[in-house]
Amino acid sequence: MTTPVPFLRLTDVHKSFGAVHALRGVDITVEAGTIHALVGENGAGKSTLGKVMAGLHRPDRGTVQVQGRTVDLQSPRDALGHGITIVAQELALVEPRSVLENVYLGSEPHRGPVVRTRLLRRWFAELTERTGIAVPPDACVQDLSIADQQKVEILRALARGAEAIVMDEPTARLASHEAEGLVTILRQLAASGTTIVYVSHFLDEVLQVADRVTVLRDGQLVSTSPADDHTADSLVEAMVGRSLASAFPAKQLPASAAPLLEVENLGRDGVFAGIDLEVRPGEVVVITGLVGAGRSEVLQCIVGDRRADHGTVRLCGATKRFRHPRAAVDAGIAYVPESRKTHGLLLETSVNGNVSLPQLKKLTRGLSISRARERELVAAAITRVGVKAANPALPVSTLSGGNQQKVLFAKALSGDPVLLVADEPTRGVDVQAKRQIYDVLVDLASRGLGVLVVSSEMEEVLGLAHRVVVMRTGRVAGQLAGPDITEANIAALAFDRPAGGSPSNDAGGTS
Amino acid sequence: MTAETINPRTPRAVRGLPSLRAGAQYGVLWATLALFTVLAVTTPGFATTDNLRNLLDQQATVLIVAAPLTLAVIAGVFDVSASAVYVLAPLAAIQVQNQTGSIPLAVLVALTCGVLCGAVNATFVVLLRVNSFIATLATSYVFFGVGYLVSDQAILTPGDAAFRDLATKQILGVTSATWLAALVVGITWFLLTRSRMGRYVYATGANPDAARLSGIRTGGIVAATLVLVGTSAGFAGLVNASQGMSAQATDDFGFVFTVIAAVVVGGTSIAGGSGAVWRTVVGAVFIAMIGNGLNLNQIDPIYQRIILGVVILLAVALDATARRRLTN
Repeated sequence: MTTPVPFLRLTDVHKSFGAVHALRGVDITVEAGTIHALVGENGAGKSTLGKVMAGLHRPDRGTVQVQGRTVDLQSPRDALGHGITIVAQELALVEPRSVLENVYLGSEPHRGPVVRTRLLRRWFAELTERTGIAVPPDACVQDLSIADQQKVEILRALARGAEAIVMDEPTARLASHEAEGLVTILRQLAASGTTIVYVSHFLDEVLQVADRVTVLRDGQLVSTSPADDHTADSLVEAMVGRSLASAFPAKQLPASAAPLLEVENLGRDGVFAGIDLEVRPGEVVVITGLVGAGRSEVLQCIVGDRRADHGTVRLCGATKRFRHPRAAVDAGIAYVPESRKTHGLLLETSVNGNVSLPQLKKLTRGLSISRARERELVAAAITRVGVKAANPALPVSTLSGGNQQKVLFAKALSGDPVLLVADEPTRGVDVQAKRQIYDVLVDLASRGLGVLVVSSEMEEVLGLAHRVVVMRTGRVAGQLAGPDITEANIAALAFDRPAGGSPSNDAGGTS
Repeated sequence: MTAETINPRTPRAVRGLPSLRAGAQYGVLWATLALFTVLAVTTPGFATTDNLRNLLDQQATVLIVAAPLTLAVIAGVFDVSASAVYVLAPLAAIQVQNQTGSIPLAVLVALTCGVLCGAVNATFVVLLRVNSFIATLATSYVFFGVGYLVSDQAILTPGDAAFRDLATKQILGVTSATWLAALVVGITWFLLTRSRMGRYVYATGANPDAARLSGIRTGGIVAATLVLVGTSAGFAGLVNASQGMSAQATDDFGFVFTVIAAVVVGGTSIAGGSGAVWRTVVGAVFIAMIGNGLNLNQIDPIYQRIILGVVILLAVALDATARRRLTN
């Protein structure tokens, strides 16, 4: 199966996004006609590496060689020119149009302005016969299942002459029998010479499908080895284990009081089910798990942005059924959404205007807003979270990412909430700003607020949480408290591996 | 928190920005002042009190609708049914006035008619989530049709001559129509810049998700702006009927496009989230001065149309370029 020249070779590849160093000098060789898996925890850099291969990201440093020749992949189009393409997690299809049209979109054979439909059909028949991937050509793409839509993407890649396909988390949205079908297809493709790079965090599946496995951690290569040398446990062990890069404020034990927030059997059809959790005053509870496990959706149901289909939410002992975020805000729940740009801030509005937005009712005297009271409230709120704004009358877009994130917190806290709910509170901020946000969270908890956080960053989970709720595919896989909060235990729950083997101790420095 | 971690990027990025912003922000104002100066110098009869009074009086109905429409556009919706309400409301009002003899009742009917039309629009846009342009285009035809029914296809004239005073009474040198326009502009300016609703209007247009998660009932805000536009369109129709002492059913969309032109030329973004009432006032004056200047210079009205269209295109294109440069 080995060929003299590898299909892809990446050497010393670096990639940063703002302050986040996603890839730090990765070397990887992908042999032609193999299935090569990339695994790692959230944020380990596996998706970024796959996107570098497919020309979606351009590396800051390092070289990319395709079939022995050094290339500069500036765009997905460039990569396709070299025979590489990606099937992303979010499929990119023209949903209201037919399978046939989608597969050949942009490369239709034509005579003058007229598409040669009959030739197209013959091509399609040949393609499906060659690959064994069966999809009805005239079906409308939006009527197909996700699994079939994915097949359409794969067919499209092959129709354009792709020799290597990067599959980014291809089974994340598939049912298990569909995932098995995909594995069969990929095996057939590899057998006929197509190279597959398979990015996934489903370890059993990786071991089943892949010839070789590369493990990444914190943007660095851990190992590349034949899949047969691994077990799921050995992969988890390789993925886990790191030092805490940024110090965390000391954890203060919460007073054992009556729970502030009680969630019982919460469910939303098709997304998550049977969620039980509680947050006590002074407690930091972190929900973690793999991306796509339904964590953010649970928060959205708690803060009234989505309706739950089952279960109850109690705040301070009283059952609440929030029909609109307004009701949750009024009840004392502050929510910091995951994306500050699309769900959090009005970027072209001033810091003042953003922070005071949920509290304008309190600031209105007669018919008009009292600007003096507004400035007062905003000044207090931004000092509390440490925003450095030259002038709070300037638009938020003039601030750094870290300061924007802190404005988001200031806005959430301006109403003196009893419970803070934050989704990925330190996404896209630098280390310094992270520490400041941690300080804010711990400070709030020490004042008796309940803090409920969704986080994918392992060190954040370890450093902040009094209690950890691990979710897996829409359910609570387990809860951990106190000394049981270790990376090994969390990974075991998140990846559905029984804890055991050798514990990794260098992750336990959480004072 | 730790005060020594000041981010040095922030102040530097911001320095020097206000003057640059002012140039682009007030572009439409400078253009209007320049046009005024040019016309005052070159065109005899332009800078006379009578001419300027007339100009304001003619713009009154446009401003009465354009100011509230600015709120709707900032909130992220459009309303092209203002023309239909503008036609329908005075027909209903005059019918009632002629049967009851009461002018206050006629005013009330015109306003109520506007509120109802606005509420119909809001129902489709907010509750049924129909695109606002399509919904108000469709309701326009309904309102136009009702106009024919209400008037029985006749030209209606108010029986009471005092009806004329609504819009044409001279107060402190200008017509009551001008005062009414000033009142509407003042109210909408206050709403937008000083009140809670104004902040919510901007937030809803700029980022509906963020607004909703901040606890704003964005649907209610959109509905309120649509009702406001409907009401003011009914009111403007009444003022117009008072100016001409007649009203007639038509299917003419012309009025609302003049109104939209004022909003857009002023620089309120049709993408929502930014804009101002003063901009719309300036936009309306700018367009009015072009027409007035061309008239005084005895340019053929056929060419006037072409010139007006080109000027609007230029103004909006320049504005877009200046803003893009500002954000880059």
